[in-house]
Amino acid sequence: MIGLMEDLPPDPVIEAYKPGVDRTLLRANLKLTHEERLRNLMALQKFAEELRRAGRGLKR
Amino acid sequence: MSVDFVRFFDALAGAGVEYILIGGAAANVHGSARLTQDVDVVYRRSKENVAKLVGALSPFHPYLRGAPPGLPFLWDAETIWRGLNFTLISELGNFDVLGEIVGGGGYEALLPCTVEIEAFGHRLRCIDLPTLIKVKRAAGRPKDFEAIAELELLLKGALDES
Repeated sequence: MIGLMEDLPPDPVIEAYKPGVDRTLLRANLKLTHEERLRNLMALQKFAEELRRAGRGLKR
Repeated sequence: MSVDFVRFFDALAGAGVEYILIGGAAANVHGSARLTQDVDVVYRRSKENVAKLVGALSPFHPYLRGAPPGLPFLWDAETIWRGLNFTLISELGNFDVLGEIVGGGGYEALLPCTVEIEAFGHRLRCIDLPTLIKVKRAAGRPKDFEAIAELELLLKGALDES
């Protein structure tokens, strides 16, 4: 059985990352449907792929 | 390589595969803004479900991701049954099919810790946010630290403007 989240004490390493999290992006995502969030992820993956392709071209 | 989520979920739903969406794509479902390059699912380890999983994804020619070219690999039920977790590349993009995950176990153990969501015309089972945090913490990968911080903020609703 998987324990409850409350069982986990705060991890100081994770806590150190929290001030740097861009909350504006999270707030924007929460306004979307689940499908829209997955479609955004697909679009971001395609964009990253294009950037990598362009980067490979620069190395030649 | 990007993942074609639409065709991936269509294929699994069409074959009636029992699975749970986990990993970075599940994090996105819960509101994460981070990029992940693959899709991870935990599949039910039954002979019937493994056969369905294999049949659903066969048309897209899954192959071991990162394996040397030419390494023999047969995507069939026997291979999946003898193995457990597979990291694959296919015509649909990169995906991982996992029989068990650290900190979460297999399909049956995870099932009570899932939510049903609607996407691409299907009802999908997705790991819930507290459990996603828990399994990511259990995996202990430094690359996940920032993602976990983000997920914990989402869980606590700590997204105010201040």
